[in-house]
Amino acid sequence: MNTALASNQNRFATSTQQVGIASLVLIACVFVLYFVVSTSLVQEVLGLQSQIEARVPTFFLRLMLIVGALTAALFIITGLSYYKRNKLAVTPWLFLAVGLALFLIYVIIPIFQSISYSFTRWNGLYDINGDWTGEWVGFHNYKVLLDDPNFYTSLKNNILWLVLYMLAVPIGLFIALFLNQTVRGIRIYKSLFFFPFVISQVVVGLIFTWAYNPEFGLLSEVWSWFFCETKENIMGNLTRVCSVDPPSILGDEHKATYGIIAAGLWPQIAYCMILYLTGLNNVSPDQIEAGQLDGAKGWKMLWYVVLPQLKPATFIAVVVTVIGALRSFDMIATMTQGGPFGSTNVLAYYMYDQAVGEGVGRYGYGSAIATVLFLIMLVYISYFLWRMYQDEKEAS
Amino acid sequence: MFKRFKFGKVALAAAMGSLMSGAVVASELVITFDDLNPDKKAAFEDAVAAFTQANPDIQVTANNGDREAHKSTIRNALQNDAPDVITWYPGNRMGPFVDAGLFMDISDLWASDENLSANFNAIKPTMSRDDKQWGVPYSFYQWGVYYRKDIYDKLSLSEPKTWDELLSNCDALTEAGVTPFTIGTKFLWTAAGVFDYLNLRTNGYDVHNDLTAGKIKYTDDRIRATFAKWEEMLDRCTFVKTHATMSWQDAISPFANGDAAMYVMGNFSVGQYKEAGLTDDQIDFFQFPEITPGLPRAEEAPADAFFIPANAKNVENAKKFLAFIATPEVQGTWNKAIGQLPPNSAAEVNSDDKFIVEGMETLSTAAGLAQFYDRDAPAAMAKAGMEGFQKFMLDPSTLDEVLEGLDKVQAEVY
Repeated sequence: MNTALASNQNRFATSTQQVGIASLVLIACVFVLYFVVSTSLVQEVLGLQSQIEARVPTFFLRLMLIVGALTAALFIITGLSYYKRNKLAVTPWLFLAVGLALFLIYVIIPIFQSISYSFTRWNGLYDINGDWTGEWVGFHNYKVLLDDPNFYTSLKNNILWLVLYMLAVPIGLFIALFLNQTVRGIRIYKSLFFFPFVISQVVVGLIFTWAYNPEFGLLSEVWSWFFCETKENIMGNLTRVCSVDPPSILGDEHKATYGIIAAGLWPQIAYCMILYLTGLNNVSPDQIEAGQLDGAKGWKMLWYVVLPQLKPATFIAVVVTVIGALRSFDMIATMTQGGPFGSTNVLAYYMYDQAVGEGVGRYGYGSAIATVLFLIMLVYISYFLWRMYQDEKEAS
Repeated sequence: MFKRFKFGKVALAAAMGSLMSGAVVASELVITFDDLNPDKKAAFEDAVAAFTQANPDIQVTANNGDREAHKSTIRNALQNDAPDVITWYPGNRMGPFVDAGLFMDISDLWASDENLSANFNAIKPTMSRDDKQWGVPYSFYQWGVYYRKDIYDKLSLSEPKTWDELLSNCDALTEAGVTPFTIGTKFLWTAAGVFDYLNLRTNGYDVHNDLTAGKIKYTDDRIRATFAKWEEMLDRCTFVKTHATMSWQDAISPFANGDAAMYVMGNFSVGQYKEAGLTDDQIDFFQFPEITPGLPRAEEAPADAFFIPANAKNVENAKKFLAFIATPEVQGTWNKAIGQLPPNSAAEVNSDDKFIVEGMETLSTAAGLAQFYDRDAPAAMAKAGMEGFQKFMLDPSTLDEVLEGLDKVQAEVY
């Protein structure tokens, strides 16, 4: 690898290479800056605020100033003799610098900030002098958390999500097996099955909310065929009278979480299906044939010949499903906002609800929930990283 | 550690000062409003236009945004690039901002402006905290029971004055196949309206105020008495079954269809009833009936108000604007346009609107005005409280669990 780069170096004149690097970094900077100025923290520091439109010339002047400064810094660095001597060691870091800086500002620092807030009582406000208005309360928030039934409800729901969401993997597999055949128009069927994954989660949530609605939803319409009749009410208007009331799925604390998970499964199954479909393309026909010669068919063929070859697809399917289950926030926000009375909260939504939602403003408490969620995620993330590391080791 | 990074801001501002666009208008005023409903928006814009006409030297910038979004964006707005005037809710809801010093004390305006000091006595306590005044209200409205007069007439029922009359009305309605009350608790706050009234009628204004101020526990016997009444109501004056999946607007459809006869609501809902096809002859209003005999009658009357952020740049103009919108003329026109009541007692009300007339009558004779549970109680308490109310409405047997849970939150929040 070293030799390859070294020969490269010989082929190009140094100055050309410098310009190449500089322009690449320049493009990266503009891209990143576009992202950065659109976030509030930096807008505040730059004093851009909400009136960007009103000050477009100033805004671009500043942007050019920053880009210019960065480019100049880059040229100075690349011009240093230290850089010229250690080009191979330093260049990767130059490329990484922007990404690392963003990662530090938007991921690493906030993690430690929220952990530190979790030991305080704070309503999220700074006073007029910019002084923080909270107070230090030690482990108080964690003590309250341990005594909070809503916290256990959220935790239980998190586990429900993780477990039930896993159904997407086998169901996706079986749909993929079912669709993995060559008949006329199979591509249309595949696209139709994949369709729910293309729709935004918010739309899926809304569709299911309507379908579940006990007054006018699809479910209650079907229900009325069996249990309800239409009568005239006291004012002479038509109304529905049911011998057994249609289930109010999102209004019943015992059913609501299952209702949301079912809605979430719909696109997730499609996702797993597409992963398995691509995996099935790579299943080697030789091994299938060899299996057939040895008399394997049906379940045995699936279990001993096909599935082992689908292992990478299964791994990815499990990983995206776990991530999907932990991202259940948007489904909950669109379908129930955590209700009825907090029974569909998961930790992520409960945290949002306590800190930011509707101005409740318990930032310290919300941060404590975030910290607990972070610790739980850490287990999963560590396992995932360890697994990746093992795979790399095996591969090399 | 928790100091905000002020220095950097200053340094950068200085460095970039030369780049800032120069010309500053002699006199500006930036207003942030939070209602995009067509009638509310138009009324606000008319008031701003009238102000500009009266003060041609002031250049007014009026921003308007969504009400729910405003509840979170206001935090940023007050701390950073503050407008000169901003809308917010009085009562305890303004507490955090007042305590953090983010709203400007305008007691001097209340003292010096004759109109403000003379015509706002009823609402002044609501606008006060630490014996200082922090904002100027532009509108408020009554709560009560809206009912289907045609159904009542058909069953020869009359407006109930007492709890027993209400219960017997409910029995008659149930017998005729009509659900007595409609409600949609998906967004929780509607349940708080019912609770507020039950508590105000059972225990009175002072106990209710002490509860929302955190001085009385939820497991207190007096509050339990309120819940006992509520249980009686759930038992005999049933609510529509699927209320937990409906918003307050969804809950209008059984009301409009004649499947439900009453609705504990605020006056802002009248427009929606009419949109759903009901006419003035079909709907009417009565004050929530008396529960504890002889108790002074207190009412819910949430107000909307304007405040001056402490960071405002054009304070004099902001005060001019607040004084302007407090005048009887502006308050009268504004509230006629939006179908609500002017907090200014000298302002004219729309006497053609029977709900406004009844509302004025209801509020001007009330012994105390509550701001609504989610404004009287701190936001964190209100959220937990309203979830508790919903839980109780769905399953009254959870009462003890709910009340004890609320005590815990109460101990935490105040």
